[in-house]
Amino acid sequence: MSTVDWKNFEPVLIPDIKDLHKIDVYEKNGGYQALKSILTDKKKWADPKSVVNEVKEANIRGRGGAGFNAGLKWSFMPPADGGARYLACNGDESEPGTFKDRKIFEYNPHLFIEGALIAAYAMEITSIYVYIRGEYLPYIKMMEKAIEDAYDKGYIGKSIFGSSFNVDFYVHSGAGAYICGEETSMLESLEGKRGYPRVKPPFPAQKGLWGRPTTINNIETLSHVPAVINRGAQWFKNIGAPTHPGPILYGISGHVNKPGVYELPSGIPVIDLINEVAGGIRNGKKLKAVIPGGSSTPILRADQLEGITMDADSLRTVGSMLGTAGMVVMDEDTDMVDVLWRIAHFYHHESCGQCTPCREGTGWLEKVLLKIKNGEGEVRDLDLLLDVTTQMEGRTICALADAAAWPVRFTINRFRDEFEARCKKSVHALA
Amino acid sequence: MPQVIIDGQTYEFEGKHKLLQFIQDLGKEVPFFCYHPSMTAPANCRQCMVKVGQFVKDRETGEYELDDDGEKTIRWFPKLQTSCNIDVADDMIVHTQETDALVRRAQKDNLELILINHPLDCPICDQAGECPLQIQTYKYGPEGSRFEVKKVHKPKRVTLGPRVVLDAERCINCTRCTRFTEQISKTHQLTITSRGDKNYPTTAPGREFDDPYSLNTVDICPVGALTSADFRFRARVWEMNQTPSIDITNGKGCNIDLWTRDNIILRITPRYNGEVNDHWMPDDGREAYKIFNENRISRPLQKLDGEQILSSWNNSIATFIEQIEVRDKKEILFIGSPHASVEENYSLQQFANLIGINEVVFTNHIESGKGDGFLLTDDLAPNATGCRLLGLKEQDQTELKNRVKAATMIVLVSDHFVDRGVLSTTDLDGKYLISFATNHSETTKIADLVIPITTAAEHAASYVNVDGRIQRTIPAKETKYSNRSLNLEMSVSRLDRYGTNFDNWVTEDNKVDCIPLWNFISEVANASGLELSFDDGRSIMNKISDKLKTFENVSHEAMDDQLGIQLSLNPKTETPKVK
Repeated sequence: MSTVDWKNFEPVLIPDIKDLHKIDVYEKNGGYQALKSILTDKKKWADPKSVVNEVKEANIRGRGGAGFNAGLKWSFMPPADGGARYLACNGDESEPGTFKDRKIFEYNPHLFIEGALIAAYAMEITSIYVYIRGEYLPYIKMMEKAIEDAYDKGYIGKSIFGSSFNVDFYVHSGAGAYICGEETSMLESLEGKRGYPRVKPPFPAQKGLWGRPTTINNIETLSHVPAVINRGAQWFKNIGAPTHPGPILYGISGHVNKPGVYELPSGIPVIDLINEVAGGIRNGKKLKAVIPGGSSTPILRADQLEGITMDADSLRTVGSMLGTAGMVVMDEDTDMVDVLWRIAHFYHHESCGQCTPCREGTGWLEKVLLKIKNGEGEVRDLDLLLDVTTQMEGRTICALADAAAWPVRFTINRFRDEFEARCKKSVHALA
Repeated sequence: MPQVIIDGQTYEFEGKHKLLQFIQDLGKEVPFFCYHPSMTAPANCRQCMVKVGQFVKDRETGEYELDDDGEKTIRWFPKLQTSCNIDVADDMIVHTQETDALVRRAQKDNLELILINHPLDCPICDQAGECPLQIQTYKYGPEGSRFEVKKVHKPKRVTLGPRVVLDAERCINCTRCTRFTEQISKTHQLTITSRGDKNYPTTAPGREFDDPYSLNTVDICPVGALTSADFRFRARVWEMNQTPSIDITNGKGCNIDLWTRDNIILRITPRYNGEVNDHWMPDDGREAYKIFNENRISRPLQKLDGEQILSSWNNSIATFIEQIEVRDKKEILFIGSPHASVEENYSLQQFANLIGINEVVFTNHIESGKGDGFLLTDDLAPNATGCRLLGLKEQDQTELKNRVKAATMIVLVSDHFVDRGVLSTTDLDGKYLISFATNHSETTKIADLVIPITTAAEHAASYVNVDGRIQRTIPAKETKYSNRSLNLEMSVSRLDRYGTNFDNWVTEDNKVDCIPLWNFISEVANASGLELSFDDGRSIMNKISDKLKTFENVSHEAMDDQLGIQLSLNPKTETPKVK
C-alpha cells in the first residue's frame, strides 16, 4: 500500500486565509472563477453535460457517508422538461462524531455556494435548497448572509454572468431530528412534512422534492466541485487513495490531544491521523478503539488498525467504513459497555418510528444494554442483542435500522470479553 | 402474456398490480397491517415481507441464462421485499411464508418486534376477536417473547374527538388513520406525534377529531388503539350477530353490517361495495343503531277521548277499515314515504288503488348543505328515487299542505312531517290521522291511530339510492312475530343457537311488537274481503319486477349476488342533483 504524502498537502476546502467567509476575500482568492468559467468559456465547457462528465471523471465520492460518485449521481437526472428541478444540499450533519460541514459554513461558505451553483448549472436545476441542522443557528445566519452577498454580486439569481442560467438559493433550517439527514426524509422535511424517509423507488432523481427531479449532495461533496472545475479531474484523482480520491475533512474527536477538523488527503494511515495529526492520545494513554466515520460505522480495536488507511476500501478489509470521516478515538480507560449504550440511546431517541423493526428494535437494544451496563445483564442477553440486530438489519425503508444495529453487533463481537465481564455470572448459583 | 411464479405456481397477469394485492386476489395470504387497498402503501409495518427474484436474461439475445443444471438462473433481490409496494413483473419469482423459511423467519421476527411494546391486553380490548394483530400473531408470530425489559408507556383513554377514543400504547403506528384523514376524508385532522417508539396518532393541539367520517379510523385500525366512544366495552365481537344491510340515514345507501346481541343493535360498520361506499360510511349512519333500539312503538295506539291508549291488532285493523268506509274516497289522502322501502310504498299504493284512490303522494326530505360529494347527501331519505320509480306523486310543501287541507283522513307511512317541519299540528287539526311508524315522534303523538311497523333492521326490503342503485336489507332483529331459527335469512350466533332463557343475553322484552306494513295491509284487505295479499318483501319485489319495466331484472337474490342493481333512470325520474 503506497503511503499518501499528506504532510505537504495544501488545503483546498478550508485554506488558512483570514476572513475567507467574506465574499470580497473569497473573490480575491480566485472565488467564483470556476462558475464564471463554465458559464462563459464555451470552448472548454460546451454544455452542462461536459461539467457532469468532468465531475464524474474526478470520482468525488459522496462525503455524506455513502461514498457514491457524485458526478454519476448527477447523470441520473432525467432530461430537463422545462419544469422545476431541485438541488437539495444536505447540511443536516447529525451523525454523532461528525462536525465537518460546519467548518465550511463557518470558514468558506462561498466555496460551497459556488460548488452548488456549478452543480445546478450542470443538472439544469432551477432552485437550490441548503438544509442545515437546527442546532447550527450561527452558521445558518452566516449562510443566509453569504447567500445574500452572492445574490447582490449577481452570482445567484437571473442570467448569472450574462448567461441564460437562472437559479434561486434558499436556506432551510432543520428542527433537530437525526432522521432528516436521511436524503428522502430531508425532502419530506423541506416540503414541511414530518421527517419520514420515503420508499425507494421512485428515487429522488425521478420524483424528489414536490415530485420533481431532485439531486441530494452533501455540503463537503459540493465544496469539492469548484476545485475540480478549476484544476481538472486529474488533479483531484491524484490526491490520496486512488479508489477514493481527493481531500477529506477529518473530524477527529475523543481522547486525543488536538481534536478538530483537519483537511487532508484521503487514504492516510489511521495511526498517523491519530498520533501525528491529532497529537496522539491524551495523558499518554494507550489507544483502545476507533470509530472511523461517525457512530454508525463499525468500531475498530487498536490491534485492527495496523496498516489501515482512511478510505473505503482499506477500512472494508477490517470490517468498517469511512462514513463521514468523523473519527471518534477512545483510550484504554474507555468503558465499551458505556460507549455502546450511549450510541444505542442515540439511535433509540432518533428512530423516526415509521418502520417496525427500527422503532421497536432500537428501544429494545438500548434497554437491554442499560441492563448490562447496570450489572443486571446476563450472558444470554448478549446473544439476544445480536439476534435483535439481525431482526432489524436490511428490513426497513431507510438505513437507520442498519446504522443502529451495526454498532451493537460489532462492538459486542469485537469487545465480547468486556461485555461478558459486566454480566452476572450465572442465573442460578451452582452451590 | 406476462407470467409470475408465486410459491412454485405460475400465474398469468395483465396490467399493473401490487404484489400483495395480487396474492390476495388469488385467494392466498401474506400477513400485513399498514396496507389498505383504498389508500397509499407506506410499507411501514414491514410485515408483508416476501422473497422476490427475477429470471436472468441475456441483455443482447434476450435468452434466459441457464445454470449448470440447465435451470433458468434466478437473480434474487439482496433483501426481502415488502409485497405491498412492489409491482408484479414478468418473470418474477416470489416465495411467501408458505414456501420459504427465511420469509417465515422475517415475519416472525417482525411480529415479535411489534409485540414488545404492545400491551397484550386482549382480554379487555375491544378489538379482540377481530384484531389483525391477534390473528396474525397466532398464525405467524413467535411462541413467546424474549422481551424482559420495561415496555414504553404512552397516553391511554385519550378522547380524540366526540366519537373516537385513543389508546396510544396499543398503536402499532401503521398510519392507516392518518392516511385516512389525508386521503379519504381529506380533513387532515390526524397526524403522528413524537418519534420512534414514543409516537402515536393525535390531532393538532387544541383541535378535536370531529371528522364526519372519524369512525372509519376505528374500523381500519388493525389493533385496538382507536375505539368507538359509543361502542367500547359494550360487547365482545364473538357474542354478536353480523347482518348485512343498508344505511337508511341518507340517500347514498352505504352498505353496512348490523351487529346485534340479544336483539339489540349495538353497532353499525361499513361493508365493502366498490360501487357505492368502498370501505367507508359516515358517522351519522352509525348513529342510526339508536333508532332501531330506542323509542320504538310497540303495539298499536289509538286515540280515545283525545288520549292515545294501547290498542290491539284486531282493534286497529277494524278501526282502519271503519274509518275508510265512512268516508268519501276523495277525502282520504295516502302519503307514501322516501323513508320507507320500495316494498312498503308499493303495498300501500296497491291498497289505495284497490279501494279507488289512484294517487299516492310523497314529499322528499332534502336538507341542502348536508351533502359533501362523498358519502353524505342532501337527501336525508334512503328511497326517494324508489318512490318516483313506483309512480308516487312527488309534492312540495305547499302542494302537500293543500292536499292535506282538502282531506279529512290522512294515512301516513314512516314520515314525521311535524318533526321535520313540513306540516304543522294546525295543518292536521281535525283530520283523522293514521300513522304507520317505527318510532315515537311529535307526529305520531297527534295521530288518531298509530300502527307500529318494522324498521329496516327487522324486514327484508329494498331501497333505491340517489344514483338509482337498488339495494336491500336483511332482517337483523326479531320482532314479537319473527324468529331467527325459522327465518333462514337471519343470522344465528352461538348465543342464539345454544343460549337458553337462563343466559344473560336472551331477553324477550327486546322484541318489538310490530309487523311489516305489507302484513298489516294484507290483514286489512283480508278482513274487508279485498283481493290483496302480501307475503314478504321477497315476493312483493317479484310482483314489482313483473309489473314495472324499471324493476324487470330486480329480485332479492339478484341484489344479493350483485351487491345491488343499478336501475336505468329515465329523465322524468331523474334524482335531484346532489352537491
